[in-house]
Amino acid sequence: MTETAIEAAALGKGFGRRRKQALDGCSFRLPAGSVCAVVGPNGAGKSTLLSLAAGLLRPTDGTITVLGAAPAAVRERLAYVAQDKPLHPQLTVADTLRYGRELNPGRWDDRTAERIVAEGDLEPDARIRSLSGGQRTRVALALALGKRPELLLLDEPMADLDPLARHQLMATLMADAAEHGTTVVMSSHVVAELDGACDHLLLLGAGRVRLAGPLDDLLAAHRLLTGRADASLDPHTVVESRTTGRQVTALVRPEGPLDESWQATAPTLEELVLAHLRAPETPALRLDEMREAAV
Amino acid sequence: MTTALSAATAPATGRPPRGPRGLTWTVLRLHRSTLIVWAVVVLSGAAVLLWAYGPGAHAAQAEWDRVCAGREACVWGDPIYDFDRVFRAAGSGLTWLPALVAAWAGGALVGRELENGTARLAWTQGVTPTRWLAAKLTVPAVLLTAGTTVLVLLHHLVSDAHPLPLGRWSWYTEDNFQANGTAAIAAPLLGLALGALAGLLLRRALPALAVALVATEALGAFATAASRDLVPWETAVGTLKTGYRTPAHVITGDQGALTATGARVPDPLCVDDTQCLAAHKIVGYYTDYHPAAHFWPLHLVETGLLLGAAALATATAFWLLRRRTP
Repeated sequence: MTETAIEAAALGKGFGRRRKQALDGCSFRLPAGSVCAVVGPNGAGKSTLLSLAAGLLRPTDGTITVLGAAPAAVRERLAYVAQDKPLHPQLTVADTLRYGRELNPGRWDDRTAERIVAEGDLEPDARIRSLSGGQRTRVALALALGKRPELLLLDEPMADLDPLARHQLMATLMADAAEHGTTVVMSSHVVAELDGACDHLLLLGAGRVRLAGPLDDLLAAHRLLTGRADASLDPHTVVESRTTGRQVTALVRPEGPLDESWQATAPTLEELVLAHLRAPETPALRLDEMREAAV
Repeated sequence: MTTALSAATAPATGRPPRGPRGLTWTVLRLHRSTLIVWAVVVLSGAAVLLWAYGPGAHAAQAEWDRVCAGREACVWGDPIYDFDRVFRAAGSGLTWLPALVAAWAGGALVGRELENGTARLAWTQGVTPTRWLAAKLTVPAVLLTAGTTVLVLLHHLVSDAHPLPLGRWSWYTEDNFQANGTAAIAAPLLGLALGALAGLLLRRALPALAVALVATEALGAFATAASRDLVPWETAVGTLKTGYRTPAHVITGDQGALTATGARVPDPLCVDDTQCLAAHKIVGYYTDYHPAAHFWPLHLVETGLLLGAAALATATAFWLLRRRTP
């Protein structure tokens, strides 16, 4: 198995004549076997990044390497589910799975695909056009997992699902990924749906990497401080601070020992992400290379 | 345990051994309804032409012998009208086929897949965009060529066999000429290539359909016109006495008057006015024409032009796709 699932170096992608940059100078590294959340506001470049990783777009700057090669060279080893879950409306569920089998000879796993479809109580001869959004998502995921990918790229995978189906599909997905050591990259702007499932985080903002690295390390690099409004936050990097009355709450990256007067707690994923989304000027923090340096 | 194992290996060994596989299967399955329509078109076209060749022609011949044979003028009845209608409809259908194919190819094969994102689904299934487009063009190209070849051969058979001396069934009348040779087989391929190119360029089904329709018709008309000039015309020359000596049953081209130096000038329409003729120095008349013997040269040149344009459109489509995708 490849050591690195995705590596981007100064990756940029511009669209249109004016080269509006959807991604700009993105660098990060994702180790194989990790489950990575790609988070960011609308228009941050999440979908563009996933399309680049899937070998559907050509970067305008920099490079992206997937499973040790150019994305277009490893199509059969990766799976991609686009945001709008494109499927052929005139096919039946069974034919859609056959479509996957025919186009992935030697890799296709009928049992996985059929199990995921069966769990959703889908009739094999129901036409795709007759399915609800959530049912289509299920078929799209069955198609993606049926090809036994080493890298699974999911763009807003759970947006169409009700909470129960979301929970169930996420569990199926995670169990399958854990069993086969699949690297999963999924984008979302619903942070709650990623909590507990992901071990890596990639936060994008305005086409740039804001946070990248193992989730635990990123959380450990931040502290949520509560204290008196007139206390100094120097020399720590302040991501966001809010004053209510005489009390201040701040998310900081400690740059030294914390003063005793602060009450410090570890932030949750949601607090970390929201603070960074509200403070777009915060310097980027990349912890994804530390492990590489240690080796 | 044993059952579990055999169940696990069953899909690999127990695959249906017959039938198309892989991309070919997907193209056939995705466009199954179009395929059925095409099969119906070819079969009904063949049935109609076979009817015209057999019972239709016999009935028409009998009617001709009954009311027309040996007479200067005659008024014939239904059998000849039926034969005429069917035969001309078949020729017209074969001439219009490429435009319809282009619309289908541009709209459904490529444009719709780019519009609704299913092209991206295919490209992330271990299929490169190049192979995807190749399958999208090859499968319909084979089926189209097979179908039109059958229809053109049958049409040619009917056209050759009909014995009635009616001018509108002559070799040069537009529908009959086009539907009788290789140009009718090449034109749908141009439509297919242009349709795919339009689909790639516009990434929308309906606009691609419209553009492909217009482009195929325009290029087809251009190829017909160009082939007439590329095959050297025969020229019939008449004197002032004989006037124009245009042969019967030919495709006529340029016509006009000749001066003493042999220069071609527009006919001043003097008719018998000798003063007028002298003033314009007219000594004779000419007509450029293609005789029936030019049927195959004309068809082969037009076929070459159509296939060349199709090759160019196909190459452009592949180039565009490769430039756009990694």
